[in-house]
Amino acid sequence: MTARTEGATAGGGVGFLRVPAGFRAALPVILFLLVGFAAPLLAVIGFSFMPARTFGFTGQPTLENYITIFESTSYISLLWSLGLALATVLILILISYPVAYGLVRVFGRWSTLVTLLFVIPLFVSENVRLYGWLLFLIKNGVLLGTLKTVFGIEAESMLFTTGAILLGMVYVYLPYMLFPLTLGISMVPNDAREAASDLGASRWQVFKEVELPLSMPGLVIGCLLTFVLAVGAIAEYKVLGGQQVIPITHDIEIAFTYAQNWPLGAALSVLLMLIVGVLVMIALRRFDLDKFLGRR
Amino acid sequence: MAINRRNFMQQSAVWAAAFAAGTVPGVFRSAMAARENELNILCWEGYNSAQVLDPFRTAQNATVKAESLTNDPTMINRLRAGETNVWDLINVNNPWARKVMYPEGLIKPLDKATFEPFFANMLPGFEWPYRWCMSDDGSELLGMIQRFGPYSYVVNTDKISRETAEDTGWDLFNDPANKGKYGILESDDWNVFNICVIAGFDPFREHTDDEVAKFSETAKKVFGGAKLVGDIATMNQALIAGEIDFHMTGGTYSASPARADGYLNIRGITPKKGPMAGGKGGIAWIEVTSTVNNPELSPLAPKFLEYVQDPEVAHTVAFAEGTFNPVTQMGNSKCFDLFTKDELDAIQWDSLNEEMAGCVEYDIVPDYDKLLDLMTAAKREVSGG
Repeated sequence: MTARTEGATAGGGVGFLRVPAGFRAALPVILFLLVGFAAPLLAVIGFSFMPARTFGFTGQPTLENYITIFESTSYISLLWSLGLALATVLILILISYPVAYGLVRVFGRWSTLVTLLFVIPLFVSENVRLYGWLLFLIKNGVLLGTLKTVFGIEAESMLFTTGAILLGMVYVYLPYMLFPLTLGISMVPNDAREAASDLGASRWQVFKEVELPLSMPGLVIGCLLTFVLAVGAIAEYKVLGGQQVIPITHDIEIAFTYAQNWPLGAALSVLLMLIVGVLVMIALRRFDLDKFLGRR
Repeated sequence: MAINRRNFMQQSAVWAAAFAAGTVPGVFRSAMAARENELNILCWEGYNSAQVLDPFRTAQNATVKAESLTNDPTMINRLRAGETNVWDLINVNNPWARKVMYPEGLIKPLDKATFEPFFANMLPGFEWPYRWCMSDDGSELLGMIQRFGPYSYVVNTDKISRETAEDTGWDLFNDPANKGKYGILESDDWNVFNICVIAGFDPFREHTDDEVAKFSETAKKVFGGAKLVGDIATMNQALIAGEIDFHMTGGTYSASPARADGYLNIRGITPKKGPMAGGKGGIAWIEVTSTVNNPELSPLAPKFLEYVQDPEVAHTVAFAEGTFNPVTQMGNSKCFDLFTKDELDAIQWDSLNEEMAGCVEYDIVPDYDKLLDLMTAAKREVSGG
């Protein structure tokens, strides 16, 4: 009896060992993701099919929350979120590419210092940094107060405008574009650039034909990262924008709090995830990261 | 409670909340023993401060956890979602205990013999049996009161005098000349009340179709004319910096931090007229703290409610971190004498009686869901200017 039990145990152990080592090593992470990521996500999806303003999963599943959304003006918030996220990404590309290029090719030993300048703010809470901007930009604050006191110039504050929201998002998400881009540019072999030059390519041609395509993985990763983060932004709209623009995340927050309508909030969240997911998938199909990274 | 397919998610939510509140060890213990040494409080800010909780923790040798939220509906939802197993005390505004939580079985009554004597030391107007502390039939005591205040709008008196603000009333927000000169506090339940009052009708009753249409139109106008919507800190900063001249919703609760900092020109205003019962234009809140209908209710819950009645603790609660507010225990001279002149100035003691007399008390809006949806849509539609 004992021998049979031991044999069975040993057999089971051998069976487990037959599972590829990679899978076995990944098992703790897979379990963690299932509990910590998939379960809450499934809960949100499940809630989105519950009757409006209910708080459990015992109701009759319904599509009413999705119908409510399609019949409402939620598309306005969604368009603002997508539009400002896109604008943020475009501005970030324009700002980050030259800085990333400088970090890799120009700044030399100063690169570490410049990198630190971009990294250090990440150690401070996003809200604290945004309130810092508020105090800097507010009427009679650091900027306008100084202009008034020193130069006698009375300027209007740019706070509580769409521009202020964009400023906040660009500021907050800059590192998420800059660092993948730096990595992307550093992957461009010097030999390729030099070969292009030797073959008579102009500086613009070297950039367009060699550097940009070869640094594309970093650019795509940076764009995806910042776009997804910016679509989910809310603090910038509240603190710097004074809610002059209502993003979809605000609608979700209101549904989960003041409206006591978790199913509606869940349905809005699911739609946002779907839309962002589809956009990311389209981008990934267009720009095959595996191909870029030379894996096939 | 056994976990089955039907209650799985509800139980998951309870466990998640227990983890969040750091009470999991307590939850395990509760299966074996009563929770003599732990207390979980769901409250507005202030009751979660170390000044209030630490002496109680030391005296009772207890683990006290308090989570602060800044709107009533969210707190009520937490109990509805199954967290009655987690919390021992809930601190929300006046109508919820009597009209919602007790009828829904979310809270349980207090021992009248223990708590009735405390009402003898409260300010006039809060005598036993105080309406919002009692069940509908008047037979049960559902909670204890402490912080309260008028809550309509706040002006910078350097820009708009107190008299003008009181006399003009809510029409300040109807005047097209004020477009871009005011802010709106991010407090959407109160904003629903205010939009009703600005539109010219009482929020705390069922509304006709015409009134609902007027509400929607007013919401678009008021949100469209606002310079910003934000939290209390942003409102006070914007008032002091001159970005705005006035804001709703506001009163002692929101203006007191700025006043305590020396900005006495920032003042909560109760309008002299309005469309509510008795022609009143102001709205007041009174917090009621109740014991949750927790099957393993901590015996420390009623003890904590007794503890905060102490004059010194009541004074600490009035000036705990965040906002500063009058407390009903100021009816006791031992408590009142602890307030300095600056503290009384911060909470607008000079006009408190007069303002409370000009207010109706916060109540449930019967068609709140519909009005909030309209207001949310209005905010969205005027989005981006």
